[in-house]
Amino acid sequence: MFLEQLINGITLGSIYAIVALGYTLVFGVLDIINMAHGEIFMFGAFVGLLIVSKAGAPLPVAFLGAVVVTAAMGLLLERFALRPLRTRRGASHLASMISTIGVSILLENVAHKIFGSGNHLFETPFAEISFTIGPVTVYLVQVVILLISLFLMVGLALWLSRTRAGKALRATAENLVTAGLLGVDTNRMITATVVIASAMGGIAGVLVGMAFSYINNQMGLSMGLKGLAIIIFGGMGSVYGAMAGGLILGLSETFMVAYGSSGYRDAIAFFLIIVILLLKPQGLFGQAPAEARR
Amino acid sequence: MEWLNPYHLQVASFVLINAILGVSMYVTLSTGQLSLGNAGFMSIGAYTAALLSTQHQVPIPAGILAGSLLAGAAGILVGIPALRLSGVYLAIATLGFGEVLRAVLINWESLTGGAVGIAAIPQMGRVILVWARDRGFSPESLGLQSNQFISMTVFLILLLCTILTVAFFLRLSRSRVGRAYAAIRLDESAAAAAGIPITYYKVLAFSQGALLSGFAGALFAHSTSFVSPGDFTYHRAVEILVFAVFGGSEHIFGPVFGAAFLTIMPEALRFISDYRYILYGILLVLMTVFRPQGVIDPELLRRFRRSGKGTPA
Repeated sequence: MFLEQLINGITLGSIYAIVALGYTLVFGVLDIINMAHGEIFMFGAFVGLLIVSKAGAPLPVAFLGAVVVTAAMGLLLERFALRPLRTRRGASHLASMISTIGVSILLENVAHKIFGSGNHLFETPFAEISFTIGPVTVYLVQVVILLISLFLMVGLALWLSRTRAGKALRATAENLVTAGLLGVDTNRMITATVVIASAMGGIAGVLVGMAFSYINNQMGLSMGLKGLAIIIFGGMGSVYGAMAGGLILGLSETFMVAYGSSGYRDAIAFFLIIVILLLKPQGLFGQAPAEARR
Repeated sequence: MEWLNPYHLQVASFVLINAILGVSMYVTLSTGQLSLGNAGFMSIGAYTAALLSTQHQVPIPAGILAGSLLAGAAGILVGIPALRLSGVYLAIATLGFGEVLRAVLINWESLTGGAVGIAAIPQMGRVILVWARDRGFSPESLGLQSNQFISMTVFLILLLCTILTVAFFLRLSRSRVGRAYAAIRLDESAAAAAGIPITYYKVLAFSQGALLSGFAGALFAHSTSFVSPGDFTYHRAVEILVFAVFGGSEHIFGPVFGAAFLTIMPEALRFISDYRYILYGILLVLMTVFRPQGVIDPELLRRFRRSGKGTPA
């Protein structure tokens, strides 16, 4: 029982981590909270659903489709809702938060228009396949989700730390102007960041569809709020903080439901951040105190 | 009197409640603190007023007062630890406060009625109608039907509350307190160096915002006669923020205008009802791109005032 819950928690946590990575990448580079990330994630789930259920294509195609659509959405988001604010003097970070809120309202209602408001069944071909190791039952879906998440997290960490593009991105995150002076095409790096973050959201959307086997047009909001809580908890802009925060939240939610009360499940995320902000305002892996980050 | 139908009056009443909420956001923002907890404070005011009047037969004005004060006290409790945070951290921590509070409202069923909420809260207009009827007054003597009279009374009460609120904070902004707020917003360290007690004023602004939100919540409860946790979600918190940012957060008329415009627009666009929130989203993006300081800023007001006096701009 305990081990099974542990596996459930880690599966859920790794999905949370991927959603949170989308937020933390954009915040790290732009100092902007992308409030539309949850809705982009939701679109990824729906695109995956359409490809699997309506077109009957295999799962890898669903991932591919979700990535393409959400990456395109990220591109449009950056082009029309973020870039115009960046070039304008005197626009505060608050303004870009509002404009992404505008995008999220737009997307939520477009999704409502297209897909309706009910739950949609997300069928994974191997949803029922499980195997038993000793007393523990593990579903193949969980293994697949874990592998994909691990692959994404390791890939991202390696890309950021080892490649030239990753270095350019970190330089842009460190200081936009200096990176530009040193020959980094910062506009391109910013676009790349938003696109990669959105595509990761799309993948997470399909993973959630696989994990819960149903999706709806409200899931962007609840997942988005949890993603926000995780990056605060883990430390804004910290990649490892997002991963650790996601796992901690996934585990605490699973164990809360298993051994405590399920009613407060969705409040745990915020309870966690209130506690961490009082004890260590910069988050688990945050570097500088909140005030110094200007 | 055809135009005076309860629907129009109800929209107008929501405009006024939202205007008070917009001002509550403006007050906290005027010290540079971005709070998304106002929906939570609003729920404190609404539930306190609702519970006092439905379960303890407390008169409505006393319930509204108690709700506002309790929300203000909660604002002090949240505002003190919130001093350690700024910017997006504060925004998300206060959002977290609202969500935790909402989870409590949903789960504490014996007190709050759970997800269903509280129904049959005495409605201000109806109570006044009964009171007036008992004294031999009939709304027909004014040419009004009773539901028109009820909506009209609610509207007038809310209008009075809104005018008083705006007048108070307009006055405040020209007082010592208001100048301290402005100084803190511009540069906290410089304000501290000039001898302004930062902690005191920031907590004061935060709890004033909370108190106003609670006030608006209590008025909301007694206008709609029904409250549920669904009224105080993330969407509400964001909506309140958008009133201030869309309308302009540098002058008190900004959030009032933002609340009025953004409440009326979706109603006016009802004929394309399926697409109105899509348009709302697009409008928000366009606004922040083309006028990030909000529709109303001090410069615009100055220009108005100048042209009003007939001197060339």
